[in-house]
Amino acid sequence: MSYTSSTLGAIIIIAVSVQLAAAGSISGTVKMEGKPPKAKTIDRSADAKCMELHPGDLLTESWVVGESTDEASQVANVFVHVSGGLAAKDWPAPTAPVVLDQKGCRYEPHVFGIRVGQSLEIRNSDGTTHNVHSLAKNNKQFNNGQPSGAPALNKSFDAVELMAKIKCDMHPWMSCYAGVLDHPFFAVTGADGSYKIEGLPAGTYEVTAWHERMRTRTQSVTVGDDDASADFLYQKKK
Amino acid sequence: MADDAHHGHDESFLRKYIFSTDHKVIGIQYALGALVFLLFGFTLVMLMRWSMANPNQAVPFIGGFLETLFGEDAQGGVITPQLYNSFGAMHGTIMVFLGIVPLAVGAFGNYVVPLQIGAVDMAFPKLNMASVWVYFVGGVVMFSSFFIPGGPAKSGWTSYAPLAVIDAASAGQTFWLVGMIFLITSSLLGAVNFLVTIIQLRAPGMTWMRLPFFVWAQFISSFLLLLAFPPLEAAGVMQLMDRVAGTSFFMPTGLVVSGEAYSAVGGGSPILWQHLFWFLAHPEVYVLILPALGIVAEIIANNSRKPLWGYRSMVYSVIFLGFMSFIVWAHHMFLTDMGVIISAFFQTTTMIISIPSVIIITALIISLWGGSIRFNTPMLFALAFLPMFGIGGLTGLPLGLSGSDIPLHDTYYVIGHFHYVVAPGTIFAMFAGIYFWFPKITGRKMNEFLGKLHFYPSFIFMNGIFFPMLIQGIAGVSRRLYDGGEYYEFSESILQLNTVMTHSAFGLLLAQIPFIINFVWTIFRKTREGEGTRNPWDATTIEWTDADSPPMGHGNFAVVPQVYRAAYEYSVPGSDKDFTPQSEPDSK
Amino acid sequence: MLELFHSWGLPIDASEHGHAIDGLLVWIHWIMLVLFVGWGLVFTYILIRFRQKKNPTADYTGVKSHASSYLEVSVAVLEILLLVFISLPIWATRVQGFPEDDASALQIRVVAEQFAWNFHYSGSDGILGATRPGLIVAGENPVGLDIKGDPHAADDIVRSKLLLPVDRNVIVRLVSKDVIHCFSVPTLRVKQDVIPGSVIPQWFRAVKVHDGFVGCAQLCGLGHYKMKSDLSVVSPEEFDAWYETTSAQAAAVAASAEDEDEW
Repeated sequence: MSYTSSTLGAIIIIAVSVQLAAAGSISGTVKMEGKPPKAKTIDRSADAKCMELHPGDLLTESWVVGESTDEASQVANVFVHVSGGLAAKDWPAPTAPVVLDQKGCRYEPHVFGIRVGQSLEIRNSDGTTHNVHSLAKNNKQFNNGQPSGAPALNKSFDAVELMAKIKCDMHPWMSCYAGVLDHPFFAVTGADGSYKIEGLPAGTYEVTAWHERMRTRTQSVTVGDDDASADFLYQKKK
Repeated sequence: MADDAHHGHDESFLRKYIFSTDHKVIGIQYALGALVFLLFGFTLVMLMRWSMANPNQAVPFIGGFLETLFGEDAQGGVITPQLYNSFGAMHGTIMVFLGIVPLAVGAFGNYVVPLQIGAVDMAFPKLNMASVWVYFVGGVVMFSSFFIPGGPAKSGWTSYAPLAVIDAASAGQTFWLVGMIFLITSSLLGAVNFLVTIIQLRAPGMTWMRLPFFVWAQFISSFLLLLAFPPLEAAGVMQLMDRVAGTSFFMPTGLVVSGEAYSAVGGGSPILWQHLFWFLAHPEVYVLILPALGIVAEIIANNSRKPLWGYRSMVYSVIFLGFMSFIVWAHHMFLTDMGVIISAFFQTTTMIISIPSVIIITALIISLWGGSIRFNTPMLFALAFLPMFGIGGLTGLPLGLSGSDIPLHDTYYVIGHFHYVVAPGTIFAMFAGIYFWFPKITGRKMNEFLGKLHFYPSFIFMNGIFFPMLIQGIAGVSRRLYDGGEYYEFSESILQLNTVMTHSAFGLLLAQIPFIINFVWTIFRKTREGEGTRNPWDATTIEWTDADSPPMGHGNFAVVPQVYRAAYEYSVPGSDKDFTPQSEPDSK
Repeated sequence: MLELFHSWGLPIDASEHGHAIDGLLVWIHWIMLVLFVGWGLVFTYILIRFRQKKNPTADYTGVKSHASSYLEVSVAVLEILLLVFISLPIWATRVQGFPEDDASALQIRVVAEQFAWNFHYSGSDGILGATRPGLIVAGENPVGLDIKGDPHAADDIVRSKLLLPVDRNVIVRLVSKDVIHCFSVPTLRVKQDVIPGSVIPQWFRAVKVHDGFVGCAQLCGLGHYKMKSDLSVVSPEEFDAWYETTSAQAAAVAASAEDEDEW
């Protein structure tokens, strides 16, 4: 039974990727003007376990940048997604879960995308209790304590939401953001600020970047058969 | 009664046992519901005790079942902090509002009071039926909240705002509030009925000072319910509005919850909820304890074969107790930033309220002096009630003085204190009452050997559970810690008490098996020869002397008795037997 | 009795006012013990002497003396004595005896949240900086300190452990961001609810160098059992040194912080 279903799954995945490979993509880099504020050291002395689990300073993650000069810096943890121009269509959610880990009293990853209905597997790799508290606005909130060594929690979202915040109240500094979408066209920028959204049919799309502090920027991109490029530059309000 | 002509045979099963207006059937309905909920509430606390002694370990045997039931809140059979909080809130709520009050007032009150005062039924039989059905609906709402996503209420049985209001991850608190509104309505309907019945339907000759003490206790309890519950009903509706309609009766301005500004309008007062809650909940404590005192008084008089000593002073004490219980509520709130004058007032009233309790307990002990004491099962439970209630009352003293409340507030000392009052206190009295009136209800006495097998272990294990709490309280262990204080790194010996308590709780559970067997077996066994007499305990009050065992259906008495004397005329000098029924005419 | 309580785990008393509380605790428990043992002995005696086998016929009248009234009156008198001479004075000093004239009193703003304590010291300028709920950023600015808007805020210290000097008056002002918490410091015999929407002051004076904890004694949610911070009471020299250094560091960080840009 399980063999059959996994074989079937593999076939579907191959089929889908073949179909996707035929389509275009959008890639680019997200930058900000100037340098971000310096990351601050988090006071986590209230939980001795967190001190052990994350030796060295634990820094705030609101601003994570790659190459950074006085002119511009590459910004990580930006959620980039197609926000308009898609033909109405059902995009079945993948069966594989998105994994969110609590490790060293922080969330890994800090920003991620997930599909409506897709399973979110929340792990606790720390030797201390966390609670996973969703502050979602469009989706049902949840708040689960997860003691050390507890099995992973499985959650999912029923509605599109940009962005659903998840945090730990036992360690108030711990938070992360989920972009919940009903299509697969999203990406999160890496340390160098780059992202790539693949598998888009040709057409003109609206693409939106979201950053925890700098909020959103939107631009229009036309995708042909090959790679379209869309860089974002966050500029200060003058 | 008007429908005398057609009682009994021509009623359908539904009319007779389900939608009955007969106070006796309603009493039994309350009793069965309350006993089931008591067992359920006890099961919840067993799970909590397991978690406190063994935090983060899977519950043995039923862990898998818990996981099926509660999903991620009990993953791997481990009780999570939120499930612990749910169990804690529901344990308190169920024990108080669905267990003991329905048992003490709804069951014993309904069954016994009309029979003791010589009434053919309660004053408003249909209201009485409405009361039990509203109770049933409240129970269903509370129970169903266990099966909704996010689980039942988790803000304590006190449901303090803002905690109770901000919990958006579960509708449990909303269920709790709706359930409470039903339960409160049920109690109000019952209370009105008791008051009218006791005032209006006493048999000829049943003057106030001839009333059995149990009736007095029910009378005062009904006043407390009637006057104290409406503020909580209003408060419950207000909190419900705060949760579902965006009002902010109890929500102050400027809250930042989980790092985000809270959207309520603000301007409300969290302390207001506490005042409204405790304005009910303190009188409620006396609703839990007065019927128990009443039952104990009946049984002590009957089994010491002599009148209650100081019956009048007991009656005046219970009236005074009822009155005072309305002006002590804020002793639960000494630490909410209370000024000198207000705290002096509430400390003084709290000290004053201890005096009538001392008088009643002393009178009961003195009543035994000179008696000819029979140690049957109801008497054992009634006697054990006295020292247990004594500990419960005495440990109230350091909590009632704001100075010594500082180190003890919200520690296990408080838990030990009020459990001594209601668990080995009230619940023992309830058991005493069940063993005592069982022959009246079924015509058959419960087995004495099984009764003693129930009593002695229960007595030991009750103390094994609650005395260590007082020690933990002195050591400063806070209540409502799901890991039993492990994170606070209390000493090994303090934490080991959790294991002692958990084992005792398990022992207490086992000790209830003889009771359940006894209860069920006695209901279904055949009546023996010589059983089914009206008055197996040689009692004086009219429910024994003038009604059959079990009493006839609607109407209770073939002839409504005439009352000639006080309630406890035992061992009257010159009498040929050691009890003189209230309904026995003077020989002259 | 006090030794017994300590053997049961009663924490050491490291505060100036705590002995009065401990004294009250001990007095009450002696009274409770005497009453309980007294009652218990009489009760047991009665049960043995008047059991049915020994005493087959009950006495209709029973006790004729009024000894019990004396007992009840004496219980009442004892309670009144404890109330008037011990408990009321304790409460009066707790609630009204603030060391307002003591300019050297250390002022700390305590901000409670689910599930953490934040201790906000005024820094070397001795004036607590302004705070605004809108500025709260978890992990960065947990109390919403207005560093840009208030010059007194720059040198303020905000941390999650409580460090106190010995032999110096301390005034804490308790506020909560979200739900009701309870500021409980067993070794200093201090316990006070923290109620959102109110600022509740408390005062105390530690007289012993020791380590303890600040706990939460009021159910505040699923992390209630973990809402604990460390407490250290240290010598005045050690405290002052720490205070100056930390305050200077805070000021330096605040000075180097660029203006937060608008995006």
